[in-house]
Amino acid sequence: MKVLIIEDEEGLRESIEEYFTVDGNICETANSYQNAMVKISLYRYDCILLDITLPGGNGIDILKSLKENNHPDGILIISAKNSLDDRLDGLNLGADDYLVKPFHLSELKARVMAIIRRKSFNGNNQLVFNEINIDLLAKEVKVGKVPVKLTRKEYALLLYFIANKGKVVSKNAIAEHLWGDGIDMANNFDFIYSHIKNIRKKLVEAGSNDYIQAAYGMGYKFTEQ
Amino acid sequence: MRLLTKYNRVNLITTIIVMLITGFIYYQALSLILTNQKDKDLVVEEEEVFDYVKLNHHLPQTFESNDQQITFAEVAPGSIKREFIDTTYFKKWDKGDAHKRHKHKHNGWYESGRALISSVTIGDKYYRILVVESKVETEDLIRLMFTITVGVILFLLLILLIINRLILNRLWQPFYNIMKEIRLFRIADVREIPKLETNIDEFKELNATVVDMAAKAKHDYKDLKTFTENASHELLTPIAVINSKLDTLIQTENFSDRQSKLLNDLYSAVSRLNRLNQSLLLLVKIENKLLHEQQQINLRGLVEEMIIQFEEIFQDKDLKLTYTLDDKEIYASRYLAEILVSNLISNAIRHNYNGGSINIKLTDKNLVIQNTGGDMPLPVEIFSRFHKSSASEGSGLGLTISRQICENFGFALNYEFQSPFHTFTIDFR
Repeated sequence: MKVLIIEDEEGLRESIEEYFTVDGNICETANSYQNAMVKISLYRYDCILLDITLPGGNGIDILKSLKENNHPDGILIISAKNSLDDRLDGLNLGADDYLVKPFHLSELKARVMAIIRRKSFNGNNQLVFNEINIDLLAKEVKVGKVPVKLTRKEYALLLYFIANKGKVVSKNAIAEHLWGDGIDMANNFDFIYSHIKNIRKKLVEAGSNDYIQAAYGMGYKFTEQ
Repeated sequence: MRLLTKYNRVNLITTIIVMLITGFIYYQALSLILTNQKDKDLVVEEEEVFDYVKLNHHLPQTFESNDQQITFAEVAPGSIKREFIDTTYFKKWDKGDAHKRHKHKHNGWYESGRALISSVTIGDKYYRILVVESKVETEDLIRLMFTITVGVILFLLLILLIINRLILNRLWQPFYNIMKEIRLFRIADVREIPKLETNIDEFKELNATVVDMAAKAKHDYKDLKTFTENASHELLTPIAVINSKLDTLIQTENFSDRQSKLLNDLYSAVSRLNRLNQSLLLLVKIENKLLHEQQQINLRGLVEEMIIQFEEIFQDKDLKLTYTLDDKEIYASRYLAEILVSNLISNAIRHNYNGGSINIKLTDKNLVIQNTGGDMPLPVEIFSRFHKSSASEGSGLGLTISRQICENFGFALNYEFQSPFHTFTIDFR
């Protein structure tokens, strides 16, 4: 997949680029409005990560220009502005999703993957990872032909892992993904452990390989090895 | 004391004193003039006696006419000094007064009178002349005039009072309007104090001053808020960088236990920093009333969602949750409503002990969230910014935000402690 990262903050841009550049993905970056306009007029991307506040212009104008030219690129707005109006503006103008800074890279990746899936599998809502088949519309998981009954959170967690396969996903990121802001009242993340244990058990019992590994007590990794 | 009351009181007292003095002077003047008149009549009578004596060389017959009596008495020569005196006048009953005579067994009654004592010499005899006139009519006249005057003054006073009341009330109306506006003034509100329609200079000035002051206060407050907002905004980017760098760092594998513990601590600290920052931004936004989108919300559904959302955490802390939820529709921002309910339930969990309990009750009137926790009631400052118990991992803004949201919705958020339950109640009003 091909991703364009339009972000003026160097540290953030580099991190995102590094995180996304795996498995033959192509990442390009733009650090200003002008740069970004040049890139989007020349190339097409599966997904564009768009910061709103840019030197030289406003990200919203880039979004408008993309839509005016009927470019099919998926657009994910990443902005520090967490106001509902901005969010609605962005989505009304045709952005596919809106993510507020700061975010976990795994969250960003999951969102981007969701956008690309929606764009490329028009109508075909199957996500396949080796022997695991996921019907995104019915929210059903099968290992081979064997259905696996997952709870809502376990299902979300599985999708999250697959979007971030090969990466260590921190417990913080998982907790925030599943429980949102409410997570800060928990003393520890033990209950994440029990969720993970359940998914692993259910998948393995249905005949799948055990893809989920614990990573140094910091998080988990969904990997083929 | 109100200005009008004070003014009226002073006005009334002054008027009464002035009226009393005027009345007294008036009475004295009137009675002086009328007594002079009487005295002239008496002198005329005296003249008549003198004339009679000069002509006839003997005393006239004592006679009695209406309200006038003349008597003579022989006295030692030279013993009489001519003078006017106030005396009494013995009035005999008229025929028409027969019933009175019968009743009182007297043949008359005493009235106040005015007398002239004079003397006349006939031959070698020296006589005292006493001319007495009744003053009843004079006094009646004075009384009548006095009554009329007092009546007029009282009437005037009454009219003045009424006019004062009406006019002063109206005159002061702009003042009360300004007061009302000041009372309604909220520094965080967008509403300005309106310019006042009045042609009284003092009120114009007062209004202008108040408007200026309010504008200045608002401006300063806005500056402060803008600063908070900007500061929080500026913090977002570095936090985002730290976060992303941490996410990148943990991909680099091969960590020792000690390193991963450090990384975990970093993660928690960053996420706390982030939450704190978000809370500040949110608070500014609520205070600015920047979250306008309102919709019909089924509060019951929302609370149920939250309960499901927190399910694992309830289990993690082994909390016993009981709830009864009635249907309740509110019209408000869903985003804020979620934060409100989430904050209160979070608190109930956070300040609970393992194995404690939480009761949630939603009725048409209120939403009550009770939790077990500490043995002591919480201080009143719990609703103020950054107040938190030392053990709390929260931002210290949760309840401030909750109360702000309630205010924004027109609800009331209250706390009470009744062992063993800490109770937070949202009254929908």
